[in-house]
Amino acid sequence: MRLSRLLPCLAAAPAVWAQNIEFNRDVRPVLSDRCFTCHGPDPGNRKTALRFDTEAGAAPSIVPGDPERSKLYQRIASTNRALRMPPASMGHDALKPGEIRIIRDWIQQGARWQAHWSLIPPKRPDARNIDELIHARLTRSGLEPSPEAPRHVLIRRLSLDLTGLPPTPAEVDAFVSDRAPEAYERVVDRLLASPRHAERMAIRWLEAARYADTNGYQSDGVRTMWPWRDWVIRAFQNNLPFDRFTIEQLAGDLLPGATLDQRIATAFHRNHRTSAEGGIVDEEFRVEYVADRAETTATVWLGLTMGCARCHDHKYDPVTQRDFYRMFAFFNNVPEKGFVYNFGNEPPFIAAPDAHQAAKLKELDDNAGAAGSAWDSRQQAVRKAQAKWEKGLRPGPSVDWRPQEGLLLREELEDPSFDGKRSISFGDEKAKFNHRDPLTLTVRVNARSPKGAILTRAEDYWEGTGYGIYLVEGKIRFHFVYRWTDLGMRVETRDPLPLNAWHDVTVTYDGSMLAAGTRIYVDGKEWPLKVLFDQHVWPINQKAPLRIGAGGGLGFDGQVSEAGIYNRALSPDEVRALTVRRTLNEIARTSPASRSAADTAKLRLAFVDAHLPADLAGLRRQARDAQAARDKFHASLPTVMVMEERRDPRPSYILKRGAYDAPGEPVQAGVPSALPQLPSDARADRLALARWVVSRENPLTARVAVNRYWQMLFGAGLVRTVEDFGSQGDWPVHQDVLDWLATEFMDSGWNVRHILKTIVMSRTYRQSSKVAPELLQRDPENRLLARAPRLRLPAEMIRDQALAVSGLLVGTVGGPPVRPYQPPGLWQELTGGGGYKADDGEGLYRRSLYTYWRRTIAPPSMITFDSPTRENCIVRETRTNTPLQALNLMNDVTYVEAARKLAERILRAGGDPGQGFRFVLGRDPSPAERDAFATALSAFRGRYQTDAKGAEALISQGASKPDPRWNASELAAYTAAASLLLNLDETVTKE
Amino acid sequence: MSPFNLTRRCFLALGPLLGAKTHEPMPGFPTFKPRAKRVIYLFQSGGPSQMDLFDYKPKMKDVAGSELPDSIRRGQRLTGMSATQSSFPCVPTKFKFTRHGQSGAELSELLPNIASIADDLTFIKSMHTQAINHDPAVTFFQTGAQIAGRPSIGSWLVYGLGADTDNLPGFVVMISPGQGGGGQPLYDRLWGSGFLPTRFQGVKFRSVGDPVLYLNNPPGFSSENRRTYLDALGAINRAKLDEYGDPEIATRIAQYEMAFRMQTSVPELTDLSQEPASTFALYGEDARKPGTYAANCLLARRLAERGVRFIQLFHRDWDHHGGLPKGLPARCNETDRASAALVTDLKRRGLLEDTLVIWGGEFGRTVYCQGRLTATDYGRDHHPRCFTIWMAGGGIKPGVTYGSTDDYSYNVAEDPVDVHDLHATILHCLGVDHTRLTFKYQGRHFRLTDVHGRVIKPLLA
Repeated sequence: MRLSRLLPCLAAAPAVWAQNIEFNRDVRPVLSDRCFTCHGPDPGNRKTALRFDTEAGAAPSIVPGDPERSKLYQRIASTNRALRMPPASMGHDALKPGEIRIIRDWIQQGARWQAHWSLIPPKRPDARNIDELIHARLTRSGLEPSPEAPRHVLIRRLSLDLTGLPPTPAEVDAFVSDRAPEAYERVVDRLLASPRHAERMAIRWLEAARYADTNGYQSDGVRTMWPWRDWVIRAFQNNLPFDRFTIEQLAGDLLPGATLDQRIATAFHRNHRTSAEGGIVDEEFRVEYVADRAETTATVWLGLTMGCARCHDHKYDPVTQRDFYRMFAFFNNVPEKGFVYNFGNEPPFIAAPDAHQAAKLKELDDNAGAAGSAWDSRQQAVRKAQAKWEKGLRPGPSVDWRPQEGLLLREELEDPSFDGKRSISFGDEKAKFNHRDPLTLTVRVNARSPKGAILTRAEDYWEGTGYGIYLVEGKIRFHFVYRWTDLGMRVETRDPLPLNAWHDVTVTYDGSMLAAGTRIYVDGKEWPLKVLFDQHVWPINQKAPLRIGAGGGLGFDGQVSEAGIYNRALSPDEVRALTVRRTLNEIARTSPASRSAADTAKLRLAFVDAHLPADLAGLRRQARDAQAARDKFHASLPTVMVMEERRDPRPSYILKRGAYDAPGEPVQAGVPSALPQLPSDARADRLALARWVVSRENPLTARVAVNRYWQMLFGAGLVRTVEDFGSQGDWPVHQDVLDWLATEFMDSGWNVRHILKTIVMSRTYRQSSKVAPELLQRDPENRLLARAPRLRLPAEMIRDQALAVSGLLVGTVGGPPVRPYQPPGLWQELTGGGGYKADDGEGLYRRSLYTYWRRTIAPPSMITFDSPTRENCIVRETRTNTPLQALNLMNDVTYVEAARKLAERILRAGGDPGQGFRFVLGRDPSPAERDAFATALSAFRGRYQTDAKGAEALISQGASKPDPRWNASELAAYTAAASLLLNLDETVTKE
Repeated sequence: MSPFNLTRRCFLALGPLLGAKTHEPMPGFPTFKPRAKRVIYLFQSGGPSQMDLFDYKPKMKDVAGSELPDSIRRGQRLTGMSATQSSFPCVPTKFKFTRHGQSGAELSELLPNIASIADDLTFIKSMHTQAINHDPAVTFFQTGAQIAGRPSIGSWLVYGLGADTDNLPGFVVMISPGQGGGGQPLYDRLWGSGFLPTRFQGVKFRSVGDPVLYLNNPPGFSSENRRTYLDALGAINRAKLDEYGDPEIATRIAQYEMAFRMQTSVPELTDLSQEPASTFALYGEDARKPGTYAANCLLARRLAERGVRFIQLFHRDWDHHGGLPKGLPARCNETDRASAALVTDLKRRGLLEDTLVIWGGEFGRTVYCQGRLTATDYGRDHHPRCFTIWMAGGGIKPGVTYGSTDDYSYNVAEDPVDVHDLHATILHCLGVDHTRLTFKYQGRHFRLTDVHGRVIKPLLA
């Protein structure tokens, strides 16, 4: 702690600490905060060779035991402004007297240096449990632990901490009356095994993982990541060891024989925000995503603020800019774009069926496979039948065929001539394709001029909206444009189309939103393409009619004799068949050897399409139907964005000043140089990184993880800066406890439940949270842990508790996000677009973990109660206390409805006010509380008895119906009183 | 400052909370004598076109339709929306400019009311930013960084200076859509508190539903009931305070009482029925319609009177990529009169002296046409390299035009002002040394201006 920097109210804190100066606890923070900027790890900023982040660097300025002769002390203590450090001339303040005293005493005591504590691997302190360590510390400070909290307080504390929900009155009674020595442990075990526990653990992880249901940034389109959220819940439910939990999320896709679940786990690093704002520079944002992954990984697992080294070497910690970009390089190899799809998941993504859907998919896969094989196995019969059919065709009447399936338009032009001015329109209704619609456009054309519009549905200027086949410098172009400059797709053939000759030109597009899904055929042969623009990701509102000979501001000079349009991408064989103008009979009369491939294709397609014998036709239909059923189901499955590696690795560079367009020296993936390195034989990829993160040699990961668990239970970590274990971070008063737990965690096989149980079984955890004035003064922040913390509940717990005690909570686990109540108009006033529509059934009453999270307009009551916004990784818990929270809890329909349901519950139990206290707090009221409650209840009752309309209005809030058993005024009075219970300080607090 | 210094207990210890101000200032703030006590920031979201409103370039008529010279563009990056454009024809403004007032400020015919108070205003024609797209650009103006996550300027100021009100939030935000259909979306984080505690975040005053979220009692729940309710709640909570000694309970009791006061003070604030006819003669009849820019300007004055520290309006739909000759006059029509009225009104009431008013968007627009250029129609893309904002009141020298641009309004010619400089200058007007308003997060002492920013002294009165 930088004691001297504290406000007066904390000045009492040092009284409880030891007098001996310890470098890491006392000195390093002062040096780091006041000196490192210019005399620290960043050489770019170092003014002289003198540096205080290393022992050797500082040595010239220190004479151990003699502060007066030490330059360091002389300069910081100097009263001469010109000499004093940090320099007044640069606007720096002098060190505070307390800081100067620390440095002086430290030098006096021999200036013993210590490496930064968190970079030294934790050693198991010699103690049987954490209580021994904490009590020893308390004894040194002349303090005693608080007594154990009463049982009803303990079980409520435990239930909220481990499951996020309060205990039921029955659970409280059972525990209070269970005098067996293992009663407490039994409760702990029961709670840890509950699915509620998994949900409670998941929400903090979601915040760290910046999980949300939309992309963020300006356009904030939807995404589907909840299959990953459900993976997290399952992982906690199965108590997946933290090392596997880590490896699967960072690199599950790289594990040998990766399972679907392991690939879903990697969605962790696709949860960051993504931008679909028109006009952004793609690479600028892609770099931002990669940097987010590096920073998030460092924060969540290593407790390092690596983001500080993005633009320059870290000013405080031994993390260089090079280290940052080596970390960056691990995550820089995803086949991804900076500008993302705004209406769903952006590649790479995978289908993420749940167990039930996976079973159904397998069944459909099997069906399709079987039906396909049945059809395949009869191909000899098909060939025979075709030969017979062909024989019959030779003498027969003229029969022809062309693909009919999906045919939207077919025109044979009586007058095929276009002079640059003439055009034919087919109106506004036909072929209104959107960006995800597959299509085929086919024309027979004879061009005189190398520039023109052949078949289009495009506005009448070159950069207008629409699609079309054009000639530009003789080359065939296909455009599908929403906004010329940034949204759409444009391709052209490598070679020009020979002029003054007839050709069949066919364009197919598979609806994949990619230029790679487009093909251009000339006379049945696929031509190589050049991609001119490839960002076909926005829905198109077609404004122009379908025309031949006009569009894009061009006319057409030449002839067009035929045109066809399909709402699917024809296969190459079908396109080939289209070019054959001979009838089936004419082909049949030729010898098979003399037929072209196109002839053969046409005969074959025609036969299977229209002339198969009934039994074979049935088999073919079955095969196609089974495949279609499988494809349809597969397309309906939820997907989740996942990590993948590009085949050709993308090079990484140190980006100067962090700028995407200022690459400097190239770097290879690697871990920070101040930490143990990757094994020399390991390929430096994400999997190696993940294994390194949870290796025994890593001094940080286990500490950082158990510190977060501590925060979850005590409201603050043993290291309070849970996101920063560096030298600017908080020094742990109880480093021995942290190290005991960290080693226990690793020794237990990274067993999360074991660590949680170890902590909650401790006497420290079980203390009362009552605080005597003297203790409050001596240790206001409870750093020494002479009592349990008393903390306002997190946002989601406040709502979940209200739903639970009122009986409204719907306990379904997992699934798509839900939309509970939200004040009307919140979305429109910011975005103008469509509004928020609340669910009308169970979705109103699910745990807050499942609430639809729109990043730019997050659920207001969650934000009011200090939820992180999910914009980026947040691991620190914060609590504020504001009037807006009071308004929220008193007036939000969520809590008014819950109050009414709670009122009904109390009335059903006989109407005694004590019942309300038991339902909500698990205890009986004191006589004074009972009085205050009863007085208010009777005042409400009096008023509602003469205000029938008011009573009716109050009890009608919310989607659930009031219980008609109670008359309106009575129910309204109880509703008002029950709302009071939901607003009590104790109710929103864990004691 | 360390976040630990802001823990609940210290917050309490800083002053008796019952009946105290919403927000107390940090010790040592303001760092010197302020000229302005509060800010009204009229944010024009989307990027108003400087050369059609403020930055007149008569020579453009001579080069109308010709390509933007490379000597002017200098290979600078363009947005993805015009980077692939094949030609960059210059478009002169189609609006008339005349000089106004003693200061002779040159203004477009679209801003007659603002023109009429030109001598009260200071125009900065040399604003520039780094961002070329809305989200990063607005985020930059709001937080001093393009990537979201830092506290907004209003949050910083309430954190540092507190607010002089005991029944309203210290930082209030109001939004009006352009009548053209909305415009670019906004996001709650633009007035968020970032890593500062959430109590410093801007509170959005709304024109539909409750003016402040959850302000009103539920239907059928009278104010009389609320008093009874709070008395009982307070009694039970006080008993708990006696038993547990947790000062947080006292804070909670106080916040419920504050909530109760807000239930009176906010409706009283938004009730315009007592405003005389002369008010509406000044602001225009639009000011009677909740949710309009004019109504928000009037509310801004009422909030300023009540001691709110930072009042920010957002008017949307200035993003004229196309159809500028129609869209821009419409936006001006919605905002010109009320913006001028607000300054005039503040001046008449003696409030302009210590209220800093700022008008501006997140970037300017290009001299070259985006999309189709016709005889009557043009559009302009985002332009970060120069644009105009104006300021008035507390601490700012009136009747000044600062900075200039080249003949194409493409590059700053003299006296550039970047976003950090603007922030430093705003803080200076409020008596805050921008290098001293810091908050320690992730091991770093963050500040609004990061490691940049200089106070633009010539702007100061």
